[in-house]
Amino acid sequence: MAVYYITPRRFRNLTLFIVDLVFYAWGEPWLVILMLFSILLNYTSGILIGVNREKKGLTKFIFILSVILNLGLLGFFKYAGFIGETLNMVMPFLNIPILEIALPIGISFYTFQTMSYTIDVYKNTVKVQKNIITFGTYVSLFPQLIAGPIVRYEDVAEQLMHRKETLQDFTDGVKLFLIGLSKKVLLANEMGNLWDAVRESGTQSGALGSWVGIIAYTFQIYFDFCGYSEMAMGLGKMFGFDFLKNFDYPYISKSVTEFWRRWHISLGTWFREYVYIPLGGNRKGLSRQIINIAVVWFLTGLWHGASWNFILWGLYFGVLLMIEKLFMLKVLKKAPAIISHIYSIIIIIFGWVLFYFENLNEMGVFLARMFGSDGFMMSGDISVKIISYIPLLIVAAITSTPLISKLYHKIKSKPIIYVIDNAGCVLALLLCTAALVSSDYNPFLYYKF
Amino acid sequence: MKIKNIIKYLPTVIFCGFIFAFAIFYFVLPKSNYSAQEKRKLSDFPEFTVEKLADGTFQSGIDDYLSDHMTARNFFVGFSAGYELVTGRNGSKGIYLGSDGYLFPKPTKDSEILSQNAEYINEYAEYSSIPVYMTVIPSTGYINSDKLPFDHEEYKDNELISSFKNKLSENIKFIDVTEDFKEKAKSEQLYYKTDHHWTSKGAFECYKLLGNAMDYEPVDESEFSVETIDGFYGTSYSKSALWTLSPDKIELWSRKNQPNDSVSVEISDGGEVISSDSYFFREQLKNDDKYPVFLDGNHSLVKIKNSNAKGGKLIVVKDSYAHAAVPFLSQNYSEIIMVDLRYYKKDVSALAEDEKADAILLLYSIDNLATDKNLAYLY
Repeated sequence: MAVYYITPRRFRNLTLFIVDLVFYAWGEPWLVILMLFSILLNYTSGILIGVNREKKGLTKFIFILSVILNLGLLGFFKYAGFIGETLNMVMPFLNIPILEIALPIGISFYTFQTMSYTIDVYKNTVKVQKNIITFGTYVSLFPQLIAGPIVRYEDVAEQLMHRKETLQDFTDGVKLFLIGLSKKVLLANEMGNLWDAVRESGTQSGALGSWVGIIAYTFQIYFDFCGYSEMAMGLGKMFGFDFLKNFDYPYISKSVTEFWRRWHISLGTWFREYVYIPLGGNRKGLSRQIINIAVVWFLTGLWHGASWNFILWGLYFGVLLMIEKLFMLKVLKKAPAIISHIYSIIIIIFGWVLFYFENLNEMGVFLARMFGSDGFMMSGDISVKIISYIPLLIVAAITSTPLISKLYHKIKSKPIIYVIDNAGCVLALLLCTAALVSSDYNPFLYYKF
Repeated sequence: MKIKNIIKYLPTVIFCGFIFAFAIFYFVLPKSNYSAQEKRKLSDFPEFTVEKLADGTFQSGIDDYLSDHMTARNFFVGFSAGYELVTGRNGSKGIYLGSDGYLFPKPTKDSEILSQNAEYINEYAEYSSIPVYMTVIPSTGYINSDKLPFDHEEYKDNELISSFKNKLSENIKFIDVTEDFKEKAKSEQLYYKTDHHWTSKGAFECYKLLGNAMDYEPVDESEFSVETIDGFYGTSYSKSALWTLSPDKIELWSRKNQPNDSVSVEISDGGEVISSDSYFFREQLKNDDKYPVFLDGNHSLVKIKNSNAKGGKLIVVKDSYAHAAVPFLSQNYSEIIMVDLRYYKKDVSALAEDEKADAILLLYSIDNLATDKNLAYLY
């Protein structure tokens, strides 16, 4: 970071690009080449489309080729094993050898980012980036490389070339980063511990314990993902970038439609801009709209992972969104707020059951347990564990709502805010460092995608 | 810059200062390669080779090195332990903090190994020509259950021990100390606060209880002079990372009027033999963990002779709990051969025959008995 600020403004992108590559290569020494290839591919297609703007057929060809190559890379590295397995299952006589490929970190994120650029260049909504360093900086930008948000080129094009780092931005960045870090380390990891314990306890957890467990997972996945996004936004701010918000208190939604406007906003936007609207969106009649929704949600599910449960999860939401579009939204609007909240959160929680279990048998066992197949009450060690997590569950629930943020804004103009800000920073730094140092338990939840 | 601005941008100062301070301290402070608290060797700086760089082991080596040699690591681990404690997660590091500064490892669970061990012992006892005695020591959490925190996993030592006892054949004379310990613990400290082991007092109680079954007359408490050493931090303390707790006192009980040179201790781990004329190895008192003061901790085979004791040769097959008890047993057996099956991989029946032993005692804590697979080496 010091190096970045010592570097003259003109070369800051270069510095950032080099640091990004080293950062990536630290974890994935070989796969950095893949990322460089992806950068080169989309940079070149951008230039070629720009130069040949007049020749419609040629640009279309280049564009399609580029999209196929991009998706081909993603498909090969992420889905080759899955497709092979599925084909073998349906047609056992084929006997395709299954490739064991390690998934390159962040490939789902940076492929979507680079594609957003190529598509926008093709649509002529953004200017061609002639400087490969600048383009490379955009793709490899380390704060969001691993776990998003998916920053569209359009949103940062201006900042890439003329950004201004200020002390105020830096300070805001520090605060946001620490909030994100705390969410990840102090809440998500702990909720993950509880969820693991519930699953391992098997039949002991009963219906009650299973519900607490899946609620813990509901919190884990939110704080994990939201924490990473906020850390990325915070780091971005420290380097003068402004990324768009990725989460907006999704668990306070009153409908599934609203949930998806608040959850992983950058992914939703991407699919809307580059899949749903090009397919015709809602302009071509209801039946076409329903097909479009189905396609988008099939792909959304698939994007999250190469496994059938993710597709099931995507379609589950697709169907629910259609139902809401057809009549449910009107019903929900009339219903008391509390009913809409309960309806939404229960749908979301069941969604996470689909999301978590890649093994459909285990999913069935767990769902049955949630409905009392192993009795209602929990017993033995798991009840001890759950009781000890009650304070954190309460904190997690409160933090999922805008309550703290509202309180904060209320006192924002008073001098006491400085005490709170600084004490908060010190506490967050100490607690997060302590938690990270003391435990080796720090799995990345979202790096697979 | 105005004061107001400094306050406004203080988070930046704190953040950068924190990272900067870490970096500085990291390079300036000397690094040890052993952690006394964790009782393990810390990782070395990885050797650099191109292959290691390419397959990522060099990078993960650096990560391990950095985390092992983290500045103020103990402070942060302790800070996290305190935080977990106040937010309701007592026992998150596997150790409960009870009342009066007592630490309790989490309860032992029933296991396959426990029944397997009963089988091994039965098979051994069937062919043994000398009497086989056994006792199993309950855990501190079970005995001091009144001091446990409100939310804790259940200690079922009595069930485990009695079901284990029921699996043993009649060839084994089993001495169950659980009830007596439970009763005695109301007035006496039988276990350390910061360690899972029993105190000398606890070991002495067991020695008294064994006398009946093993047919010896226990020496009375008044016959011993007690030396007290302060500053004992046991393994539960290290695991809990609750650094502000007070240490234990460790007691060394010596027989009054014991003639000089009547005791000899010979330790052998395979080749070399170390000899001493005392049950207590005082150089171990320099460490935080002082329990190895008794017979120098774990060794494969230790011979303890006492020319002042009445006759009899006893083989003790044991875990570390025995170290505090054997000095008492040594008052009634002129020779004790202490065997630790975790290190001694030869046949115990052959040893008993060669040494012409009169009896054999199996002395295990329930925690070890339920996890140790080495009883297979009995015969």
